Amino acid sequence: MNVMTPLRVDAGTRDEVLAPKDDVWVPSSCALCYGTCSILAHRVDGVVVKIEGNPDSVVGKGRLCGKGISGLMSHYDPNRLTRPLRRTNPNKGLNEDPRWKEITWDEALDEISAVLRKVRAEDSRKLVVQRTTTVTASRIPLQVFAAAFGTPNFSVSGGGQHCGNGAHLISGIMHASWSIVPDFEYCNYSIFFGASKGHSAGHASCSNMGKAADARVRGMKMVVVDPFCNFAAAKATEWVPLRVGTDAALALGMANVMVNDLGIYDGPYLQAKTNAPYLIGPDKLYVRDPDSKQPLVWDTRAGRARRFDEVAAADAALEGDFRVDGIACRPAFACLREHLRQFTPEWAEKVSGIPAATVHRLGKEFGTEARIGSTIVVEGVTLPYRPVAAIAFRGAQGHMNSLYNFYAVDLLNHLVGAADVVGGCLGFNPVCHGHPETGKLRYIPTAGPDGLMVTGMWMGYHYPYPIGEPRLPQNLGLQDLFVLGMTSPFLDSTDREEWWAQLDVPYRPEVMINFGANLVMSIANKDAVAASLAKYKFMVSFDLFLTETSNFADIVLPDCSYLQSVDSRANFPFIFSLPAGMGEWCWPMRQPVLPPDGEQRNFTQVLLDIVDRVGFRADYNVAYNASLNLQAPYRLVGDTPYTHEQICDIDLKNVFGPERGLDWFKTHGLIKWKKKPEEVYWRPFVDVRVPIYWEFLKPVGEKIAAITEPRGIKIPMEYYEPLPNFLPCRSHCCDKPGFDFYAFYYRDVVHTNSYTMENPWLDEAARLDPFSYTIAINAAEAEKRGLADGALVWVESETGRRVKGRLKLTEGIHPEGVGIAAMCGHWSDGMPVAKGKGVFFNDLLDIDWEHIAPTNNNLDLCVKVRVLPAEDVS
Amino acid sequence: MNGMSAKYERLIDDLRQDFRPQREWGEGRGVFLVVGHFLVGVAAGAWLFGLLFAYLPGLLAGFVLAGLGGVAHLAFLGRPERFWKMARHMRTAWISRGFAGLTLFLVGAALYLPPLVLAAWPWSADSTLAWIGWAMAGAGMVILIVYMGFVYTASKGIPFWGSPLHPVLYMTYALRGGAAALLVEMAVLGPPGNDVLAALVKIWIGVTAVVIVLFALELQGALAGGNVAARRSVRELLAGRLALVFYGGTLLIGILVPAALVSGQLAPLGLGVLALVGLCSALGDFFMKYATIRAGVYLPLTLRRVRSG
Amino acid sequence: MKWGMVIDLKRCIGCYGCQLACKAEHGTPPGVFFARVLKHEEGKYPTVRQLALPVLCNHCEDPPCVEACPTGASFKWEDDGIVDIDHDLCVGCRSCMMACPYTNRYFNDQPPQYYSQGMTAYEQARSARHEPNVVMKCNFCRDRVRSGKPPACVANCPTIARVFGDLDDPVSDVSRLIKERGGFTLHPEVGTGPSVYYLPP
Repeated sequence: MNVMTPLRVDAGTRDEVLAPKDDVWVPSSCALCYGTCSILAHRVDGVVVKIEGNPDSVVGKGRLCGKGISGLMSHYDPNRLTRPLRRTNPNKGLNEDPRWKEITWDEALDEISAVLRKVRAEDSRKLVVQRTTTVTASRIPLQVFAAAFGTPNFSVSGGGQHCGNGAHLISGIMHASWSIVPDFEYCNYSIFFGASKGHSAGHASCSNMGKAADARVRGMKMVVVDPFCNFAAAKATEWVPLRVGTDAALALGMANVMVNDLGIYDGPYLQAKTNAPYLIGPDKLYVRDPDSKQPLVWDTRAGRARRFDEVAAADAALEGDFRVDGIACRPAFACLREHLRQFTPEWAEKVSGIPAATVHRLGKEFGTEARIGSTIVVEGVTLPYRPVAAIAFRGAQGHMNSLYNFYAVDLLNHLVGAADVVGGCLGFNPVCHGHPETGKLRYIPTAGPDGLMVTGMWMGYHYPYPIGEPRLPQNLGLQDLFVLGMTSPFLDSTDREEWWAQLDVPYRPEVMINFGANLVMSIANKDAVAASLAKYKFMVSFDLFLTETSNFADIVLPDCSYLQSVDSRANFPFIFSLPAGMGEWCWPMRQPVLPPDGEQRNFTQVLLDIVDRVGFRADYNVAYNASLNLQAPYRLVGDTPYTHEQICDIDLKNVFGPERGLDWFKTHGLIKWKKKPEEVYWRPFVDVRVPIYWEFLKPVGEKIAAITEPRGIKIPMEYYEPLPNFLPCRSHCCDKPGFDFYAFYYRDVVHTNSYTMENPWLDEAARLDPFSYTIAINAAEAEKRGLADGALVWVESETGRRVKGRLKLTEGIHPEGVGIAAMCGHWSDGMPVAKGKGVFFNDLLDIDWEHIAPTNNNLDLCVKVRVLPAEDVS
Repeated sequence: MNGMSAKYERLIDDLRQDFRPQREWGEGRGVFLVVGHFLVGVAAGAWLFGLLFAYLPGLLAGFVLAGLGGVAHLAFLGRPERFWKMARHMRTAWISRGFAGLTLFLVGAALYLPPLVLAAWPWSADSTLAWIGWAMAGAGMVILIVYMGFVYTASKGIPFWGSPLHPVLYMTYALRGGAAALLVEMAVLGPPGNDVLAALVKIWIGVTAVVIVLFALELQGALAGGNVAARRSVRELLAGRLALVFYGGTLLIGILVPAALVSGQLAPLGLGVLALVGLCSALGDFFMKYATIRAGVYLPLTLRRVRSG
Repeated sequence: MKWGMVIDLKRCIGCYGCQLACKAEHGTPPGVFFARVLKHEEGKYPTVRQLALPVLCNHCEDPPCVEACPTGASFKWEDDGIVDIDHDLCVGCRSCMMACPYTNRYFNDQPPQYYSQGMTAYEQARSARHEPNVVMKCNFCRDRVRSGKPPACVANCPTIARVFGDLDDPVSDVSRLIKERGGFTLHPEVGTGPSVYYLPP
């Protein structure tokens, strides 16, 4: 059947991409989730007829999950925006019809620029810039925009507040990376706490799927600690169900068993690579050298306290009571060891529900398999061999106890020396020696204050360590004050106005530029965020569809999809989504496979146009130079109006040399070079330490309290103790009768973030899946309450929030758990396939100080609920 | 939901269940298959009894019903314009053989019947052409009576239809249907003789008894045989989706009412009553086929049995 | 030469990549799946395992669908054992759908579009080219295979759970895996001789 493809070529579209009769495979990058796997898009006669993985690329290794394969249906969705829209109904609300009218790009950009010019003249901080984490390549253009414009108010919406503030903070401090993963190639025993690495979407997802499968077949034991037996737990050698949000209890119990019951710990590692030998005084702080102010350790050979950096690691005491200048002190490890004693397996059982015998056994298994002291040769290099890994991700840290939950898990690795060595817990590429030809991209952690590790590469506002100095905040997210947080809930919390008032924040948000985030759904309950958005005087939203959030915009701009866009940095940085472990470095890019439809324009170019109209191109170029680390002759000059394509070309040549600009990459798709064992297993080769005693927490907490308490805001200081603890969430403290379930959400494999539900192929797969659109509940518990499989129910929180959905009775969930997948439950007419499918878990979430982790501001994501039958009119 | 048809929505629902009912035969356009099978079965039986009792209306009924049955089959097919291709695979396919049988029957009857009905016809009832027609129709009739049950036993995806009794049951149903058809005709047109009518009634009673026994055995076999899908089908029939059709249509209308009527207890056994017996019996046969076809449930795809050895 | 497939249930994580790669390769219309992923739960709390079971046409040695087809539209290629459908011969009687013990055949009677607004350009190019009102099923991507590529589902699986090869060759990957890891087929009691083997989870 010969098909004539209707080519819609409108004025202003770039049709250089299109040849009327062709059959090509174009290398590019996916954007259905931030995994950004490499793709080959097959275009035949102007139509993309298949998307496959790119076997040449390390990211995905030629394979794609269901989402990546289905991307073309998202691209060709007829519900996609094709024209800029202007709201004509001034009222903003969940039920308000914006009454969109189509406008031209000139009209849109004129209005936007006028607003921004005004804001920039008054107070540039009134602008809030926001992006979705789904498109990795959106980070730098938007961060640069915000920086050049002059606003510190930047957010990554739900993605940051749900899974970022905990996981990335601690992965950054302890592993100099964004996230942690087992060394699948060599690990023998892994334990996953609320994580699904290798079994679901996200960082290096498709590559990890293959690696995890290899490990499984090789015989790696995988213990999965999770209230729900799905995805990772489904493939686990052992599923350990636990009460929601109590991961720290198991981790601390295991640590206690290892260190105190069994005496298992890697002394030499702790001495050399952590602050375990640092002397701690009665004030819980380091005992410091009076002159240099450096922390002291006890030199067992010299018999006195000396600067940590002047004592051979093997001579630094880990135990003992000492006196330094009359001050009683002991090594941090001794403090930790004693502190751990309270976390008996029996205690852990009471908190988490995990049998004490299991806690003991897991601790013993982990500690034993760590094979402390052993080595292995990898590609001719002798390296420490610790084939155990404890990892955590969104599940463990999505609670009030975010910091301690995640940290307690990672502590297990450091206790046995299984951090960034063969078989152990790896950060995602914390070290890179750079491209062999140009030397660019070299980054290595360095020793910062008190010898503690400063990451060599980061993506955020401030590096995780050293911790910033708390001060009266100048930004709306209060990150100046809560210096451990990255993405802030205070932009949308129901108590944000009180905070701003009490902390004398001298301005209020007026304008928002939103790139693709659907924050009405992705942050917490819709009413809270709706109320926040309705107050913005002006909001611009770059979107693919009219989402629940677009509904609050004044101007909606039709974005190009990933198949229509060019990005020099589809994946970079390596700490984010390049597979960890041995293999190759890989830098893939993204290039257009199809031209824009209608009036769609690539957002990066639109931002540049706005920059030029508002008139801060010079600042923008400067910020870009810094962000991309552009060196001569590739630095952006003055206020030259480079196009996005030109900047991409410059970016690539700057990194890979004059021969490898955009054209080279359009042909090759990516560049690769081999990793070295010293890069992957870098820990023994880099002289840095990580904290097993978070001494800096206490002073940070006190400084924050010093600012807030005079203004009537109390900081719960138990969260700022230097040693980890289990601190309960709101849900754990709820004793309202009848509320006997902990509701939580979990990552689905078919649906990720908020826009996959609009894809009909993915929707179809989800509808066939037993769990995707349902509310999972323990079968016995449901039967006790007379609730049948498929029953329509209300899940209602202790604060009266509720969501409705159908039950799926399962044996694979903790008796107290109620599990809801992904972020479904759309209601926007602009996404008709997604509309009405699944359950909107986030509507159960309150967003206020009571439900925000006082340390890193992660949201508390578990809710105490009751399950009630709903009237079923079907 | 977003413009998808009801059939698609139901398919998605079905695919989520542990047991997936077959819906292609007997639902939507698939009803025509049941109608077609039913009509063709009755037609063959009517022809048989028409021959046995030398009763021309019986033969005519057979021909007309077979024609209608053929049309029903065409309406059932996805691509009816290609129907003639069904002759290609008689080597193994029962439907192909059935198609051949129907074709033989219709062509044969078309050759044999006209001279019996119309005085002025190009060839006479004694001609070779008519005798060839008689032979063809006879062969076709045999095929039609025999083949239908085997179509179901060849359906390995539906364990409920796999009983070895199924072909015998369908043959018996053909006879029952034929008898019923003649009962109705004789009641309406007047019997050729009272002894013929009485014999027909006795045949009908006998065949009905055999049908009941065979069907009960088949259900019992499905329940006891150990196949979960077959058991599930029986449950659908007796206590599930098809219960109403089964009890109301197959049992009540198809067996109990005509049995009561034929016993003479309800009313004297006049022609009107016998017509009713025939109609109810036929209707019951239709519902029986409809119910058992729709009760078909696919063998579930699972590892369980395999993993235990 | 007998093409066969091995699906390693230990590797498979139920990501639906195969189901969707297949749909994307062939543009199967709504209601038609050549490959699917089934999910089963085993055990009682807390000893539970979720099993993902990818299924597709088994390309049987003795295919009941071929036997039942009245037109010969359903047939088995002699040279490589793939069971295929000639969509020009099929009359849409769906008896093969009843004959298949693995319910892996689907009737194409839905409009070839997933959006209510009509066909996308992709669907015009791929889905619309299929014959309507006939039966469709997996054919081991015969065209891809004959051009030297593995079937789409095999090429795409992120956990590399699917392997494709010649069952007649004793040293092929598929033969080797079946022998070494104890490969088994689904419903062997039906006796159709499937060419798709599974490795234990």
